[in-house]
Amino acid sequence: MNKHIESVTEAVKAKFDVLNTEIVRDTQAAVDLKPGDVHAALAFLKAQGFRQLSMLTCVDWLEDKEFQLVYLLFDWDKGVRLQMRARLDRDNPKFTTVTNIYPGAQYYERDVHEFFGVEFEGNPMSYKQLFLENWDDIPPMRKDFNSRAYSDKKFPVREYKKDFTKAGDGK
Amino acid sequence: MGEGIIEKDKKLKEGWEGISRFFRANSLWMLMYCTGCCAIELPQAMTSRYDMERLGMGPMATPRQADVLLVTGYLSVKTLRRVIYAYEQMSTPKYLVAFGPCPINGGIYYDAYAVINRLDQYLPVDVYIAGCMPKPEAVMNGFQDLIDGIKNKTADGWKRYRDNYEWYRKNQIESLGELRIKDEFHE
Ligand code: SF4
Repeated sequence: MNKHIESVTEAVKAKFDVLNTEIVRDTQAAVDLKPGDVHAALAFLKAQGFRQLSMLTCVDWLEDKEFQLVYLLFDWDKGVRLQMRARLDRDNPKFTTVTNIYPGAQYYERDVHEFFGVEFEGNPMSYKQLFLENWDDIPPMRKDFNSRAYSDKKFPVREYKKDFTKAGDGK
Repeated sequence: MGEGIIEKDKKLKEGWEGISRFFRANSLWMLMYCTGCCAIELPQAMTSRYDMERLGMGPMATPRQADVLLVTGYLSVKTLRRVIYAYEQMSTPKYLVAFGPCPINGGIYYDAYAVINRLDQYLPVDVYIAGCMPKPEAVMNGFQDLIDGIKNKTADGWKRYRDNYEWYRKNQIESLGELRIKDEFHE
């Protein structure tokens, strides 16, 4: 593993209560944290050179009843990436904004709020619609959302008199 | 005597319309709404190899000056709202060409929650071009079809839109909710 990644992972481990670490690739590692530690860890890493928040995304662990927030940080000088991950309760998905640390998180938080329904306290902008306009169902990236049913309900489909899908099977 | 004049008038009008259709068909300005991946076939069709200009077609900058609206690919709900704005701004006669299976029946996005399935429910389509994505030959062929349609009066989508406006509006509202755009740029 890249020595920069190794040293920074060790530093995070020493400072915070790390639940788990994972090597994603040569230049990228992932660290699982408790939700309460995320802000301190992000501020710490920013001071260590991870100046860019490349991405904030969310994973829906339906069976565990949890959402996992993934903050992907990038260090331009050393060319290494670090993921900070934390799990939230799926029934009450609330987190505090990180826009005070990474102002660029603004749009990511809007995105995660729109597609997963995670609320970011302290960021009133995150409640504004971004891609979906007049959305009227549960957030669409949740695993229990049925895209096909929604599409059929909302958008009329073209009816075909002949079944073209069977035409090509040589019979 | 009076009937003769009316008859003559009608003939004159028809003749005049025929002339304007002829010129219209040979000088089309396109407004390209590059909504999806099909748009990538336009550069080939426009540049020297296929040379769209020999059909008398060229790109235009704004909806109000354009004759043909090209919807090149899938339409998300958000884009459809803006396409409707663009289409309604165009002055008649106006034509709409839809590229690829996405606007025909949803294409590979048939089950997507944010992409519509049939464009002809919301706006009148004059020519469909098949192929995901359509080859430049197919694009040129589609444009030739449009030109023929204008000459023989079958490309009459703008009239259908005018006559069935209520029906189109009803479908638009059913799928889009409200039509008015509310985003950062329209606040
Ligand atoms: S028809 Fe195919 S190429 Fe065209 S927008 Fe749809 S998926 Fe893309």
